[in-house]
This record gives sequence, C-alpha cells and structure tokens, in this order.
Amino acid sequence: MLEKISMPETQRDKQIFSLYEVTRSIQKTIAERYKSSFWVKAEMNKLNHYSHSGHCYPELVEKRDGKVIAQIKANLWKSDYQRINARFLKVTKEHIKDGISILFLASIHFDPAHGLCLRMLDIDPIFSLGELEKEKHESIERLQAENLFRKNKLLSLSLLPKRIAVISVETSKGYADYLKILQGNPWNYRVFNMLFPALLQGDRAVESILYQLGRIKSVHQHFDAVAIIRGGGGDVGLSSYNNYQLAREIAMFPIPVFTGIGHSTNETVAEMVSFKNAITPTELADFILQHFHNFSEPLTNAARLVNTFAEDLLNRKQQQFANSVQLFKIITSNALTRHSAGLKTTSHSFYSKLLLAINTFRHSLRTTHETLNTGAESFLQHQFDSIRQQKSMLGSNASVVHGNEVRKIERLHHSVTLLDPVNVLRRGFSITTDGNGRVVKSVTELKSGQTIRTRLADGTIITEVKKISNHDTHE
Amino acid sequence: MNNDTNYTDAFAELQQIVNEIESGEISVDVLSEKVKRAATLIGICKAKLSSTEEDVRKILKDLDASEH
Repeated sequence: MLEKISMPETQRDKQIFSLYEVTRSIQKTIAERYKSSFWVKAEMNKLNHYSHSGHCYPELVEKRDGKVIAQIKANLWKSDYQRINARFLKVTKEHIKDGISILFLASIHFDPAHGLCLRMLDIDPIFSLGELEKEKHESIERLQAENLFRKNKLLSLSLLPKRIAVISVETSKGYADYLKILQGNPWNYRVFNMLFPALLQGDRAVESILYQLGRIKSVHQHFDAVAIIRGGGGDVGLSSYNNYQLAREIAMFPIPVFTGIGHSTNETVAEMVSFKNAITPTELADFILQHFHNFSEPLTNAARLVNTFAEDLLNRKQQQFANSVQLFKIITSNALTRHSAGLKTTSHSFYSKLLLAINTFRHSLRTTHETLNTGAESFLQHQFDSIRQQKSMLGSNASVVHGNEVRKIERLHHSVTLLDPVNVLRRGFSITTDGNGRVVKSVTELKSGQTIRTRLADGTIITEVKKISNHDTHE
Repeated sequence: MNNDTNYTDAFAELQQIVNEIESGEISVDVLSEKVKRAATLIGICKAKLSSTEEDVRKILKDLDASEH
C-alpha cells in the first residue's frame, strides 16, 4: 500500500520510507477506511478546554472495574464546542465537564504531525442526562442501602444554631445574601459564621467541599452546624451534589449540615441527605433566624406569663382574703346579733326575776315591819301598863314606908345626939391633946414636963405633966 | 459546649417553671422565689440570643493542631 503513495529509496536491498511517507500512508488508509462518522460511548476523563483558543482536546477513556481499558485523544473545535456545550447545558443543566459519560458523534482522523485522534462532531445531551440521573439514583440507593440516608437528619440541632461553619466562596452572591439576612436582622440576634472557602461548582467542587468538610469535622465541637452555601450559579453545575462521596460525607457528618445551594431544579442528593435544605442562601438564613425566634418567643411569653400570673395570683389571693374577711364579718356579726339577743332575753329574764325577788323581799319586809310595829306597840303598851300598875302600887305603899323610915331616922338622930362629944364632956369626960393638938390616947405618948391641953365641956385647962403612971402599976 | 448546656438547661428550667405556672402548681409561698428564678433564666437566655463568645483564633489553633 505504501508504494502507491510514496517513492521509497532502495539501499542495500532495503526499501526505506520517510516518517512523513509512513504517516501520510496511515492517514490515507484511515481516511479510506473510516469515511463516515459514528457514535461512540465513553467517559470524558478530561475536557482540556483551552480558553484562549476556545478549542478542546478531550481525553476519552473507557474503564472496566476501575481500570482503563481504552483511551484516545479527541479534538473538539471551538465552533463545535460552543454549539454542543450550549445544547448540552440546556438539556442537562451541566457544562460538558470532566468525569461525565458522553455519547458523541466522531470521525476518526490521523494527522502526520499530531497522530491519531477522534474529532468530536456532536455530543448527545440526553445520554449524559440519563447518565447523570443514573449516578444520582445510584448515590441515593447506596446511601439508603448503607442506612446513611437519614443519618444527618436524625441529629439534634442546638436550641440556638448560632455557630455556623460556612462552606462557600467569599465573594459569592449567595454568601453575601446569607450574611446580609443574618447580620441585618432587626432583633439583634447574633450568629457566628466562620468561612471555609471552597469551590462550589465545576470539576473540583466535590474535592474542594470534601476537603473543607474534613477540616470542619476536626473542630466540629466549636460549631452548631455547617452551611454549604452556593450562590449565583443558577441551575447549572449541580451534578457535583449528586456525588456519592460528598453526599455520604454530609450524611455522616457529626453535626447538622445545612444546604443553601440555590436552584430550582430537582433536589440533589447532598440536599436530600442534609439536615436542612433551603432553596436559597436567603432562605437558609431565615431558617436559622427562625430558630432564634423559636427560642426568643417562649422567653417573651414566659416573661409575660410570669408577670401576669404573679399579678393574677396576688389579686386572687387578695380577693380571697377580702372574701374571707367579709365572711368573717358576716359570721361574727350574726353571732353577735344572736348572742346579743340571747343576752337580752337572759337579761330580761334576770331583771324580771330580780324584780320578783325584790318584790317578794319588799313584801316580806313590809309584813315583818308591820308585825314588828304591832308587836312593839303591844309590848310598849304592856310595859306602859305594867309601869302604871307598879306606879299605882308604889303610891299606896309609900306612905307606910315613909312612916317607918321617919321613925327610924328619929331614932338614929337621938343616938347621934347622944354621941356628940359636947354631950360626953357634959357628962364628965374630957379630951386631952398635946402641944400640937393631937389627942392623947395613951400615957406612953407623954413625957414629964410636957404641956398638955385638957378640954372640958365649958373650957380648956393647960397643964404640965408632973408624973406619969400606968393603971397596971396601981401606985 | 458549657455555655450551650447552660442556656439549654436554663431554657428547659424556664419551661418547667412556665408549665408549673400554667398548671397552677405554684403557691403564693414560693411565688416570689419562682418569679425571681424565671427572671434570671430569661436573662441568661436573652443574653445568648444577642451575643457570641466564639474566638476564631482558637478555632484556627485547633485546626492547625489537627492538621499537623
């Protein structure tokens, strides 16, 4: 075949071709052999899109049990790429990217300078969509089979999810929206956010997010939750979130993982297994604030309840007390009235009895008085009569007594007259006295030479004692 | 986690008091004490809503420790 297109030299019996001749020959052969284009199924290992030229040089592989069993380079020229990618994006919501399975229309080419390659003329987006869906379903089924699907959802979230590890891009619109809602909340709720920057879309998204999840996991005790926030990406590039490894890591994460990925298509697996999936980062921020509300509201209610209750209870007790006082008053008043009536009755009865007693006594007194009067009168009368009787008796006896008495007195008078010393003296008796006038009754009272006076009836003799003799001696 | 436990406990205790109040289990004798306690708990919880005690440097230090 080579002879037909080349002019080989002959040296020492050897036919020699230049490399160009050879490659030209290959080129010709292949061009003749592969005249038409054909559909090929392969994995887009690398797209190798050069943004400067706009061309792509994809690496295509086929794997079996994880091993590459076939590979080939391909060309995707700028104009083809733009057309194909636009349609692919429209159907699959994904750019043509590394790692996806594709069905493409290709022609085979050989270029002497660049070698063998497939020229990609078209890519069937429906096939890739199916493949993406298949990957998604496989992820879900595997997680379910491993009993991990609801694992993160079953964690308990802190009462206040206020320490959030955020996986996002610092400059992304989604993260800005999220922060704006949290930081601008009018209730002065404070949420601590710490950013762990990652690529949220594109070929390296899975790897990048997994890396940050790993870092957060090592310090998860500082956080209440993880928030994966993507913004501004629209519905494109979500297939990363159907990745089994990523979804598994989220499901098994030790603290709740929130997702706010921001799209309107079907939920991705990562979102399905997350503790909470918010449609947008804004909604995620609201979800967090809602927890603050849920915490704050009972506090406000409790404060109100405690106040109201304390007031009510005091009022009620006061009312009860007032009622008791009122009741007490009524009871005591009744008792007082009752006792007062009793007292009055008793008093009345007492008074009556007293009056009766007084009257009885008075009557008895009067009777006694009358009896006494009558008694006294008759007694006095009796006494009086007795006196009068005695008086009259006394009168009749008096004259007799008087006569007797007169005679007695006359007799006595006679005796007394007889005893008068003058009469005695007249009868010859005398009275001798000493110098001092004392009556001398014994001779012993006298001494010789003493002057004595002797009274006779008609005069006195003054004599001097010459001699004294006793009658007994009889001299 | 200590602070979390504190406010979580405080919240739970407050709910307990509220339940007691709502079910009429509180007598006048302990009212003053309960009201005072409730006020303290509300204070702890309210403070938690509007404050952050997290220290980024500390977290970064822990991160470094785990990565080296």
